[in-house]
Amino acid sequence: MTRQAADIVVDARGLEPPEPMVRTMAALDQLGETERLLVLLPREPFPLYRALELNGFRWQTERQPDGTVEVLIQHQRQ
Amino acid sequence: MQALLSFDQAPPFSAPFRFFLTAPLFAMLAGVLLLWSGPELLASRWTPAALAVTHLITVGFMLQVMLGAMIQILPVVAGANMIRSLGVARLVHATIVPGALLLATGLLTFDPLWFRLAALALGFGLALFLAAAGHALHGVPSINPTILGLKLALTGLIITAGLGILLAIAVDGSIALPLPLLQLTTIHIGWGFVGWSAVLLFAVALVVVPMFQMTPPYPPRFASIFPWSLPLVLSFWSLAHAAGWPGLAALLTAVLVMTVGVFAVLTLHVQRRSKRARFDATQHYWRVAMLCALAACALSLAGTSLPALAESREWPLLCGVLALFGSLMSVMIGMLYKIVPFLVWLHLQNLGGGQVVAPTMNKVIAAQQIERQMQTHFAALALLLAAVIRPDWFAHLAGVALVLANGLLLRNLLGAVAFYQQHRRQIKLKTSSAALRQAAP
Repeated sequence: MTRQAADIVVDARGLEPPEPMVRTMAALDQLGETERLLVLLPREPFPLYRALELNGFRWQTERQPDGTVEVLIQHQRQ
Repeated sequence: MQALLSFDQAPPFSAPFRFFLTAPLFAMLAGVLLLWSGPELLASRWTPAALAVTHLITVGFMLQVMLGAMIQILPVVAGANMIRSLGVARLVHATIVPGALLLATGLLTFDPLWFRLAALALGFGLALFLAAAGHALHGVPSINPTILGLKLALTGLIITAGLGILLAIAVDGSIALPLPLLQLTTIHIGWGFVGWSAVLLFAVALVVVPMFQMTPPYPPRFASIFPWSLPLVLSFWSLAHAAGWPGLAALLTAVLVMTVGVFAVLTLHVQRRSKRARFDATQHYWRVAMLCALAACALSLAGTSLPALAESREWPLLCGVLALFGSLMSVMIGMLYKIVPFLVWLHLQNLGGGQVVAPTMNKVIAAQQIERQMQTHFAALALLLAAVIRPDWFAHLAGVALVLANGLLLRNLLGAVAFYQQHRRQIKLKTSSAALRQAAP
């Protein structure tokens, strides 16, 4: 997963809760029909997956060697 | 889009809160018992009142917080959703609360009936919780040390509770125990402290310390070794005790104690590298907890090499106060001050559905109130330690401080619930009036 593949990048590593959630939600709000959002997190965001599923998004997760979890999100319709 | 936060499977607000709100009441009861018993309570670790106070803290305070937090944490850190979490929480709470009271009564009176009733209530409540948590975790791969640690901690709880129930039933000698009572008690304490509490604390710390204290992560090599190494060494330690090999048991005790010590040192080390300019209450609580854990470890090691120290009245009591009250209880209260405001914020944000923004987390409990409670808790800790050395001078004062510190904790938690209810009403009013405006022609 490369950062070039994403239109919007949210680096939520090192942010205190609930900031990662708030920033991800705000970015999803802005996400166009054909755009992709990349969220960088320090751990697997299990609650986010369920929320994405409920709201018609699909996503792809990759774990990096440094422990970063990268979640690439886009609208399901694409 | 804020409605995204409406996680349909998130545990309802009252599921963890019923546990969090009950916990301080047990610690207050422990304080009242110390006041009522006075210096005599501390004559030995085996006095009925000392045993009752210990279990009011472990089964009353700590178990409540740990189970409440686990109901909330399992879906978030492991993606393990507990089915009918509110129903499970209600039933588990309704059985372990009387169970803890019955156990304390049994320990005070040594009447077998109370012990049997306690074993029944606690056995049922814990079996239900373990079945629900086991079902939620079934099929969840252990992709990180936290998930593995949670699974192993639950195994530690099964062994701790199983041995505890066996001891409670066998206390009157009506059933034959496979091992002498003292040996089984030692193994029960070992699994309670290390196999359940320390493993759970470590599994959770891996996530919550970097997340809430803005620290770098724990060293990955240590994080991957720690969760399974403790239960493994503990198993051999239990076998050594059961087989009657004191030399090997003492050696393995030293390994366990040093491993816990390494965890405490690493936690203090990552804390020093926190990005936060000024420590908040949670960080102070964790720092004191780790220092107390280190002191308990040092004292415990000193006891294994100095038999005269280990045989003294003060030694086991000091180790117990440092480990239970100074370390585990401090960590738990520190975490409550993060978990509770976060849950209040999350549920209010969900309720607002994107139309009403929830108030920020730091408004849920005023910093000044947290500070005051923390200072009282630390004063109670100092007085409890002093009471072990000079029971006649400090036992009553320590009892008063314990009641006061937990009374303040209860007030802070009830304040958070009142804050939630007040804002929920406001949000409901705003969202319903917005809906009416939209519906109007």
